[in-house]
Amino acid sequence: MIPLALIGGGEKAEIIDFIKQGRGILSRLRDMGFFAGKIVEVISNEGCGLMLLKVDDTRVAIGRGMAMKIMVRRLQ
Amino acid sequence: MKTITVAIAGNPNSGKSTLINAIAGTNLQVGNWPGVTVEKKTATLKIDDLIINLVDLPGTYSLSPYTQEEVIARDFLVREKPDLIIDVVDSTNLERNLYLTVQLLELGIPIILALNIYDEAKKKGYEFDIEKLQELLGIRVIPTVATKKEGIKEILNAIKDFAYGFYNITPKKINYGEDIESSIKAIEENLKVTNPLLLSKYPSRWLALKLIEGDELVMKEVDLIGDETFLQEAKSHLFKSHDEDIESMLADIRYGIANGVTRDVLKKKDGKRVDFTEKIDRIVLNRYLGIPIFLFAMWFVFKFAFDFSAPFSDWIDTTISGPVTKWTFHALTVVGSPQWVISLLTEGVIAGVGAVLVFIPVIAVMMFIITLLEGSGYMARVAFVMDRLMHSIGLHGKSFIPMLLGFGCNVPSIYATRVLETERDRKLTALLVPLMSCGARLPVYVIFIGAFFSDHAPTVLWSLYVLGIFMAIALGFILKKTLYKGFAPVFIMELPPYRVPVFRDLMIHTWQKLKHFVIKAGTYIFAVSVIMWFLLNTPYGVEKENSALGRIGKTISPVFEPLGFGTWEASSSLVAGLIAKEVVVSTMAQIYVKEEVEEEKEGVDKEKGFIDDLKDAFLSFGFAIRDAIENLISGFGIKSLSANEEEEQRPLKSKLQGIFTPLTAYAFLAFVLLYWPCVVVGIAMKQEFGSWKLYGQALVIHSLLAWFVAFAIYQGGRILGF
Repeated sequence: MIPLALIGGGEKAEIIDFIKQGRGILSRLRDMGFFAGKIVEVISNEGCGLMLLKVDDTRVAIGRGMAMKIMVRRLQ
Repeated sequence: MKTITVAIAGNPNSGKSTLINAIAGTNLQVGNWPGVTVEKKTATLKIDDLIINLVDLPGTYSLSPYTQEEVIARDFLVREKPDLIIDVVDSTNLERNLYLTVQLLELGIPIILALNIYDEAKKKGYEFDIEKLQELLGIRVIPTVATKKEGIKEILNAIKDFAYGFYNITPKKINYGEDIESSIKAIEENLKVTNPLLLSKYPSRWLALKLIEGDELVMKEVDLIGDETFLQEAKSHLFKSHDEDIESMLADIRYGIANGVTRDVLKKKDGKRVDFTEKIDRIVLNRYLGIPIFLFAMWFVFKFAFDFSAPFSDWIDTTISGPVTKWTFHALTVVGSPQWVISLLTEGVIAGVGAVLVFIPVIAVMMFIITLLEGSGYMARVAFVMDRLMHSIGLHGKSFIPMLLGFGCNVPSIYATRVLETERDRKLTALLVPLMSCGARLPVYVIFIGAFFSDHAPTVLWSLYVLGIFMAIALGFILKKTLYKGFAPVFIMELPPYRVPVFRDLMIHTWQKLKHFVIKAGTYIFAVSVIMWFLLNTPYGVEKENSALGRIGKTISPVFEPLGFGTWEASSSLVAGLIAKEVVVSTMAQIYVKEEVEEEKEGVDKEKGFIDDLKDAFLSFGFAIRDAIENLISGFGIKSLSANEEEEQRPLKSKLQGIFTPLTAYAFLAFVLLYWPCVVVGIAMKQEFGSWKLYGQALVIHSLLAWFVAFAIYQGGRILGF
């Protein structure tokens, strides 16, 4: 289990868990389709700044700090 | 006559607003939800003898109470109990959108589902079993392509059928699993006995679910304190069997349902899968290319907005200050109005209101472009690209857009803060925007630079713009640490697919915005102009020095003493600059260079008749169109920055040279750049943020900032021996 922020561009990962944070932030993530079991594709990750992800057929940009708190399993 | 209220709900980027425009057309009214700055669109349609009240809810991903939009949407649905919901869904992304639909079903309100962007889904090879979707959720489903107005008639017919009872829609109670269902039942039954009033106020299943979730807002509202025991009892078995929090458990169930339904009704065949969005994003969001592309795009917006609108602004300006003033003057003279009435109407009202009308073309073009950028999906990319840079002043990338537009005119920039999500971001950005040196300040610069710095004109001009930017960064830094504390909220944002916006939509949005501005600004400016006229002309007929404005100037002039320009003339002009910054120059001209100019003007065009003037006005409008298009095609220099007021101002220049020194002139320019934003900006702030408070803050903060900077320049300069 590693933070989503460490998954490179072009890779896919399955969300396992979230590191505890504000209730509002968690449910915001959930409402936008990020929940345990979901498969996320990292479109771009340049090591700093925002990350670009794909969930379902939607492209979502999230901050790195947040990506550090989403724990995932790398999929081959 | 039958009346039916229809709420329109849906995810952001589901094409909701296009659909509403297609349904309501010009009937659309744009306002704000009470007490907040979230836009509210409503429309009343009359079809045969059915009156349909459409209310557009803010675009939301869910009905949980974590954002303002969500709270507004759910408050409306729960309290106003609309008869029907139109749920706009992006067919290319059904599962995700159904998450909201499932929550809407909990309210027990009949739903018409608009399966929007149906054409793209088809292209992608998606096939929907519409019958089955209707049956599974107990809703009516209608495929739509809002951009092409497809499915709109069907939706209106469906509303009609529903209103007259030809087609019944009974939302399904979706089974949430034994555990949850038994809790719902327990709560509903308990409330039936203990608190029937509550049950009649809210949809009962929804209320029970919210109580199970422990929704804070609902708990507070229903005020069940003291009765929690029965709630705990009803929920106890849930805690035993699920250790995670119940809220996420319910979310999981809802997603599960959305997933299940999607699998049942949607077959994905292989279609054409050309993902333009991905290709464009690869370039536009590229680490190295992103910012240059953005800067180029912004430069284009800037240029387009001002070059295209400048000829029209000029046309309005010359028409108002020329024929309109002249013929009002004649008309009033003919009917024998007293001198002061003529002066009030021509110099006060017409000149003042005219100064605002001049903004209309700029605002119109700017609103048009912003809507275009937003509708196409590029705006979200701007935020992505500029994010890191803007973080240093406590803002998101998106704030960059209004600030850049501010170089043209601060007024549309205030409206452009609308692209930002949170109130804090919007206010902080709106406070920084006036530091961007707008076009109206240019006449002041031009005349002073011409008089004192003609050898170094470009450098001095450039230094003023840079000073503004520099101060914005500094002020952003300070405000971030003081008044507008708090972090730029966590960044999570959908990047919608690129789409070609519908021209009709763009026009509707632009028109709505413009109408709002003209009416509001018109009334305020009218009042302010009248006040300013009285200040300059009471007691009537005295020297300017002894007018009310002159006296105000005299009273406050000591404040400017340490800045090097503590004369009553300068202070009066600065006070007058509240209307618009270029008024500083015209007031100075009025004070220093008495009436000569006016008399001259009248002499010149008195021979022209009314018809001639009318013809001229029409002709010059034609020229304005030609110029606008020419500006668009040719010329890469930004036209609006080239000043052309040289000849008239010679007497004022020589007067100024006798009063100011280069050092005090520069301090004065810095002060004009930074001091209180004009009243039109204030009106925009009032309109966008609902109160005068922000403008009050701006007046104080910016005036202080200007004073200190001018002080530093003058005193520093003196020490250095200038």
